[in-house]
Amino acid sequence: MKVDLITLFRQKRVCQVGSDARPVASTVGELVRFQGSGESTPLARVRYGGGNPTLRCLVLWMLGCLIALSTAGAWIEPPVLTAEGYPVPAPDTAPEIPAAHGAHRAYAIEWWYWTGHLRVIGETEDRFGFQSTVFRLAGAPGVAGPEDAAPFGAGQLYMSHVGLSDFVEQRYLHNERVYREGWQARVGVGELDLRLGPITAWELADAPGFGTTIRYEDGTRLELEMRPAKPMVAFGERGLSRKGRDPAAVSWYWTYTRLEVTGQLVRGEATVPVEGMAWMDHEIASSQLGSDLEGWDWTAIHLDDGTEVKAYRLRKNDGGSDPWSAVYWIDEAGATESVYADQFSWEGVKEWTSPATGLTYPTTVRIAARHPVSGETEIYQLVPRMDAQEFVGNNGSNAYWEGACEVQDAAGRVIGRAYLELAGYGGGLSGQLN
Amino acid sequence: MNESGASGGGSWGVAGLLLRKMTLRHWREAWFSYLTLLAIVAVGVGAFNGIRQASRAASANFGLFNEAVSGRSDFFIERGEGVLGEKDLAVLAEVAADPDWHLLPVLEGSLAQLDEAGAAVRQLRLVGMDLVSIGNLPGFIEQGLELGLTGGEWYDFIGPRDLAWITHSLAADAGLEDGAGIVFVSGGRKQTLKVAGVLGDAETGLPEDLVVADLPTVQSVLGRAGEIDRLEVLLSDRERRADPGYLESIRERIETQLPAGFSLQATEERAAERAGMTAAFRLNLMILSLIAILVGAYLILQALDAAVVRRRAEMATLKSLGVRPELLFRICLLESLLIGLIGSLAGIGLGYLLALGAVHLLADTVNALYFATSAEVIRLTPADWWIGMVLGTAFSLLAGWLPARDAMQTPPAQILSRGDWSPGFSWLRKPQVGLLLLLAGVGALWVPPPVMAGGSKMALGGFLAAGCWIFGAALLSGQVLTGLARLGRGLSGRAVWRLALSRLADGSSRHRLAVAGLVVAVGMVTGMFQMVGSFRGTIERWFDVRFQAELYVSERGVSGAGTINGIDPDIMAALRATPELDFMDALYIERVDAPMGTTVLAGVDFSVWENREVEQIWLRPIGSLEAAEGAEPAVVSETFARRFDVLSGGSVILGTATGPRVISPVGIFSDYGNEFGSAVVDLPVWRDWTGKARAINTSLYLNEGVEVNTLRDRLRLEFPGLDIRNAGELRSLAIGIFDQTFRVTAALNGIGIVVALAGLLLGLVAIFEESSRTWQTLDHLGFSKKRLLLAAGLEGAGIALAAWVAGSLIGLALGWVLIAVINVQSFGWTLLWQVPVAGFLKFGFGLVAAGYLCGLASGAWWHYRREQV
Repeated sequence: MKVDLITLFRQKRVCQVGSDARPVASTVGELVRFQGSGESTPLARVRYGGGNPTLRCLVLWMLGCLIALSTAGAWIEPPVLTAEGYPVPAPDTAPEIPAAHGAHRAYAIEWWYWTGHLRVIGETEDRFGFQSTVFRLAGAPGVAGPEDAAPFGAGQLYMSHVGLSDFVEQRYLHNERVYREGWQARVGVGELDLRLGPITAWELADAPGFGTTIRYEDGTRLELEMRPAKPMVAFGERGLSRKGRDPAAVSWYWTYTRLEVTGQLVRGEATVPVEGMAWMDHEIASSQLGSDLEGWDWTAIHLDDGTEVKAYRLRKNDGGSDPWSAVYWIDEAGATESVYADQFSWEGVKEWTSPATGLTYPTTVRIAARHPVSGETEIYQLVPRMDAQEFVGNNGSNAYWEGACEVQDAAGRVIGRAYLELAGYGGGLSGQLN
Repeated sequence: MNESGASGGGSWGVAGLLLRKMTLRHWREAWFSYLTLLAIVAVGVGAFNGIRQASRAASANFGLFNEAVSGRSDFFIERGEGVLGEKDLAVLAEVAADPDWHLLPVLEGSLAQLDEAGAAVRQLRLVGMDLVSIGNLPGFIEQGLELGLTGGEWYDFIGPRDLAWITHSLAADAGLEDGAGIVFVSGGRKQTLKVAGVLGDAETGLPEDLVVADLPTVQSVLGRAGEIDRLEVLLSDRERRADPGYLESIRERIETQLPAGFSLQATEERAAERAGMTAAFRLNLMILSLIAILVGAYLILQALDAAVVRRRAEMATLKSLGVRPELLFRICLLESLLIGLIGSLAGIGLGYLLALGAVHLLADTVNALYFATSAEVIRLTPADWWIGMVLGTAFSLLAGWLPARDAMQTPPAQILSRGDWSPGFSWLRKPQVGLLLLLAGVGALWVPPPVMAGGSKMALGGFLAAGCWIFGAALLSGQVLTGLARLGRGLSGRAVWRLALSRLADGSSRHRLAVAGLVVAVGMVTGMFQMVGSFRGTIERWFDVRFQAELYVSERGVSGAGTINGIDPDIMAALRATPELDFMDALYIERVDAPMGTTVLAGVDFSVWENREVEQIWLRPIGSLEAAEGAEPAVVSETFARRFDVLSGGSVILGTATGPRVISPVGIFSDYGNEFGSAVVDLPVWRDWTGKARAINTSLYLNEGVEVNTLRDRLRLEFPGLDIRNAGELRSLAIGIFDQTFRVTAALNGIGIVVALAGLLLGLVAIFEESSRTWQTLDHLGFSKKRLLLAAGLEGAGIALAAWVAGSLIGLALGWVLIAVINVQSFGWTLLWQVPVAGFLKFGFGLVAAGYLCGLASGAWWHYRREQV
């Protein structure tokens, strides 16, 4: 087998996206068992993936139990180690902040992900969209733990993906870098401290939140500070997001769904002050994903009413959607509700063909999902702010589309903004993964 | 046909008609001669172009072996002071973060691959890079390279310290597969690397000797923990890197971000430095190949002249019919042009083939003398096409001009009546021009040598003198021919002898021309004979005096300047502990910047020399010069002293890794190791200045009574990574390297002689053609075919003998210029002039024999043609 490092990273990314795809039972179970139990520092006002302890929760829980008995079964206790020897995320582990934001070096896979919309201060319309992702892949199990001070370490592998969309100039900058742990890639353990090629990210000293510098081509640079407007959400039952029936297929999945952003964009001699809204994911796991996925469509939506929606559709090789595809609603307080594949639809409305790769992406999509509480069908139509937001990696393969969109309701009114990721349109991921 | 018909626009029509009816008819009839002629032009152009392409390819990549994998870098980051190392990378991480460029740390060294019996079979270049981050490099991606990790996770390949990737061609040649072990020595230690994969495929064109490994692996293999050789900057945008404005903007941005103590250097600047280092070498090659083309031009002249002779009767007839002489002149020139064009085209192709053959020869020479290099793919550039075409055509036209003039001036009446009128080369009968040229050559010796890029000096005066003397001798060679023939008349009374000698004593223009061409080649060859012989003799003497130790130790597999890693200090310490050892004299070297180009800073432990007599060939013994105040006392080589003008003392500022340092010579020794010069300082000073710790070799002086070869054998077993030789073995090794560096010269000499003999053959054919009536008369008088052939052979031998005498005389002068002027000015070393008398005699005998055979062949050809008619 020939192993391409880039493909390897993409495989991990698939794995992590898939990690949200958990059986209904675990989602319902978490509502009952973990509601409101997280606490610590201000940033650690963690919401464990569920909603309020209301009747609807109990109903949902009972419904969940029924489905769980018929599909995934009851709680599966994860092992301490994977078959390869990596530690498995343990249940009932409250994320301690700021350590939770740092690297979990012993675990096989980890990633940090930010997307957001920015407007120039003083203007009313959004001008920029940005994406910034750091992937970490542990080396051999058992030796990847302690931080390696060598300039050319062999304990950890990292990859960065950054993108910047300028809606006015219709310009999209992006780049990919792969590094080993060493002089070009250092990731702190006790708190968020990422120094990886074009991405630097750290904990703010004076208040909860993160600082980041992202470097793009031609000397363009984003310098941002992001402060959470809502507590961090930890998805999954007993703090574990389950991926499948394999007992080890669990992750810690932590998200800041709404971060208020201020900062500046430096371009040549010009410095433009900006502000906006961002989303951050951080996930840790040690398991691998199966190979029956063709790709996935994923979105994080900021609605103007102060709530957020996360939705994804896992596309299988046979053309169908994985049953664990889901839509999540996060309310003003950070509580979540969700429905799964049979409760929502995801349709491509308009396609765009990339002149660079020739790939065709359904960049305008319409998501229709029945809200589990209101019972109403919510319509979210995602329209890209610009078409050319295709991310092409270093070696030209593994291209995907990840771009800023505006969100419209059924009547065509703009009700929010979103980031949309469309992956696996280059002939299927399974071939690349295997 | 009348004169008016041959004027104006109509003249071109007539020219075309004549070209078709006369020239091309002759081409068809004498196809072999013309084919030979085209071949001669092709050989001339091919030799020049081939050498040019080969030397360009051989020294093109300046030793940056990683370029094959990473693509060519745009800048280098350097430390202002101190040696750039791994520790600097953390400081530079911020600079590396910009996506518009990539920083690439590189460490290189050499390996000598061993076979099962432990013999060194192949020299390999080991290149260490960060095997993860090279995946980001546009050059790596553009080439479609991948590391081909087979059967494992990424950390199975990055972590271990014994894995390497080889090129497709090495895998094929050495029969190495994934997982196979490469046993080698480096730094004096025997080690093994495992083949983790093959880079590229048969089409990728990576150098065969390239071995790539993770940077920490290379550090471990070379015993250079924490070290890197350089930090390259490669721009992400490979298209815009060709834009000087963009490059400048990137330079500004990087310089703004560079921390204090670091500086940026453009790759082109470094390339220019390297190009400067080999400038003299390449120029010398060019001049040698130009001589080949000059000899070729002489042949064209001779062959075209022969063609004119053959058609003389026709031309006379045409003139009688009213064809204007100018038109004949034009047709002859047109013919030269055609020969030039066709021959040049063939020459460009031939040159390409020659370059393919010579490039590794030249790469070996560059490796041995200058720096590590690997032969690049031979490419034909537009410039190669232009230079080849212009050179071949121009020389053809130049050579065709005299015969064309001859054709134009031929008076019909005289030709038709006499048959062998020949005004074309009357200037060959006038010795004044030749004498003037000889005098001009003497004057040229006073022309000062201009300084070239890289600091080497171009011996312009020496080359001018050589050129003037060669041509002067060529012009005067006719006098030698006639003089010798007159002397020989009395030696035998036999008719054949008398006939041959009387024809030679007559000294027709054509005979003189044949001698002149051969003289050029003989002069060139004998001159080079002397230089190479003198060089060899001097080196042998140098060895006798300088190398008095019993045993010599160096890193195994090192064959030249470009492949030195240095001996591991631990191994040096172990050697030092050998009980049979009286003392050890180790040599440490490092290339440093000098006011003009680079030079060599050497370190030896002066304390070892104390109370011991150090054998050297001293130009100025230690102590004869006083060190300048504030400067470090140094013993310098003659080359260094001449290059930096400190023969009588003074000081030179050297740019070392730790900043500028001043040295001042206290003694000057003869040294033939390199043309950049060496300054030797005390070892502690050298270590302090360079930050290095590795000796490149060491001499072992043994206690009295120690059996040298027994100890040598024992040490060889103890230190399998070292080459341990006694004095005799070292001498034969050094002579072997020396001979290798002159292989190209020998090849060019060979081309010159072959071309000259071909010219002699053509010249004799022309002579026989021109003397047809004489031979026919003799035939009628009963002169047998055998005697005719014998006379022809003797004529050829006589021409060869005269050429050998005149050529050897001028060769002696050339040898002196090469040794006493060109070598001293170009390389700064004094050689002992030695004339290889036996070699001269052998060469003369061979030449006369070849001349005799050429005469026989041309006589036989003439006879054959006559019988055909």
